Amino acid sequence: MKKIKLTVNKKEYMLEIKEDTRLIDLLRDVLGFTGVKEGCGEGECGACTVIMDGDIVNSCLVLAFQADGKEIITIEGVESEEEIHPIQQAFLDVGAVQCGFCTPGMILSAKALLDKNPSPTREEIRAAISGNLCRCTGYNKIVDAIERAALYLKRGK
Amino acid sequence: MKKRGIGIGSIFYGTGYGNGFPDVSKAVAQLKSDGKIAIYVGATEVGQGAKTALSQIAAEVLGLSVDDIVFINEDTSITPDSGTAAASRQTYNTGNAIKLACEKLKRDILEVAKDYLGLNSIVGLTLKNGYVYPKTLPEKRVSLGEISESLESSLKEEAVFTAQTTEMDEETGQGAPYWPYTFSACGVEVEVDTETGRVEIIRAVLAQDVGRAINPELIEGQIDGGFAMGAGYALYEDLKIEKGKIKNNSFTNYLIPTSLDMPDIEKVIIEDPESTAPYGAKGIGEPVMIPVAPAILNAIYDAVGVRMTEIPVTPEKLLKAIKEKEMTYNEGKN
Ligand code: FES
Ligand code: FES
Repeated sequence: MKKIKLTVNKKEYMLEIKEDTRLIDLLRDVLGFTGVKEGCGEGECGACTVIMDGDIVNSCLVLAFQADGKEIITIEGVESEEEIHPIQQAFLDVGAVQCGFCTPGMILSAKALLDKNPSPTREEIRAAISGNLCRCTGYNKIVDAIERAALYLKRGK
Repeated sequence: MKKRGIGIGSIFYGTGYGNGFPDVSKAVAQLKSDGKIAIYVGATEVGQGAKTALSQIAAEVLGLSVDDIVFINEDTSITPDSGTAAASRQTYNTGNAIKLACEKLKRDILEVAKDYLGLNSIVGLTLKNGYVYPKTLPEKRVSLGEISESLESSLKEEAVFTAQTTEMDEETGQGAPYWPYTFSACGVEVEVDTETGRVEIIRAVLAQDVGRAINPELIEGQIDGGFAMGAGYALYEDLKIEKGKIKNNSFTNYLIPTSLDMPDIEKVIIEDPESTAPYGAKGIGEPVMIPVAPAILNAIYDAVGVRMTEIPVTPEKLLKAIKEKEMTYNEGKN
């Protein structure tokens, strides 16, 4: 067993975990953040994407102890108390969600991109979500939504 | 060297179960105590937008906004059988059942409103934005909530829609096994790298006959998604079944398109209302996918002059075909 301390969605947790626990299992099964989805379990699909210290990671490939001292954001931590995040709003407005299984990962990849690059080109957007597979949408409306989100975020400032 | 080519593919496709197989959808419409309308159907939403488009059909019949429709389709213990979300059939088949159920319910509502308002007949009664009134005297009106409250048990109607499907002649293969048919065409421009065999889709256009576009945004989403599946089918996706076992059983070797593989698609929605369809709308879920692979293979032929007859056209296969063609060409010269 190992003791770790990490922040998830702005809340601090002190936990005792097994060495081989994956971050995805800690987030879903122990802390209840089931917006983190498991698609493949081998780092190929991006459904399990979370933001760790500002960068996206596949939480199925990260061991929980590697998150010691880190700050994690899952889809549950994206919205504020009053309203959903502008990226989420843009996904709704554009119709970028079909079955929704890839959506949490897509939105977090978009957030990590827009936090660093507020005015990305379509090509930069495509590159930023290229690790997130989607079987339904053909990606184009997701790219549209992220473009729209960039506008919303600029207007909000 | 990089070579470009263009290709088109066009198809027609029969939606529904077809070939004489009974294709039945049921729907229940009910006036709730708060004046909203509940629709019960066993039609599965898998992300295609059935819930939205079917709610729109109900709202249209009853002169309401979609927010006034409570759409219940997840719970099989309280929904009737509306068949599978397959064969691109839900918009047409269950849409028809919902339209019929709502029309019956509307008649019931007008009958109750007639008595409530002390009128002689339902002729000329309008149902709009939650109120019933004679179109000549809009001030004399009653709300759906008031109608519901005045009743002891709620108004509820069920309707069944059975599609017309005929068996095809086994001997001759002739007949009209499906109804309705839908049509689509796809055009693509590809760039083939003759050194690596890699095919990149540069541009794409897809035109889909939809009968009537109940929700154009959802149709666009289906076109994008269908194109991606068609492109994957043509260029990447291979289960590799050997002795009954799937060899490519993970995303490491079963490749599907990523955001970088998809072009932006010019989408053309063609409306030609189908007389037997709800407001003319036909199903398009599968049709949007089907012309994509032939269009891509034709574009490859246009670019490098090789006719690929097996999919997926992986870089290895295409490279081999290009080499073979060059060899026959050189032999011919000597
Ligand atoms: S579940 Fe982690 S990448 Fe697929
Ligand atoms: S919406 Fe279904 S996988 Fe992306």
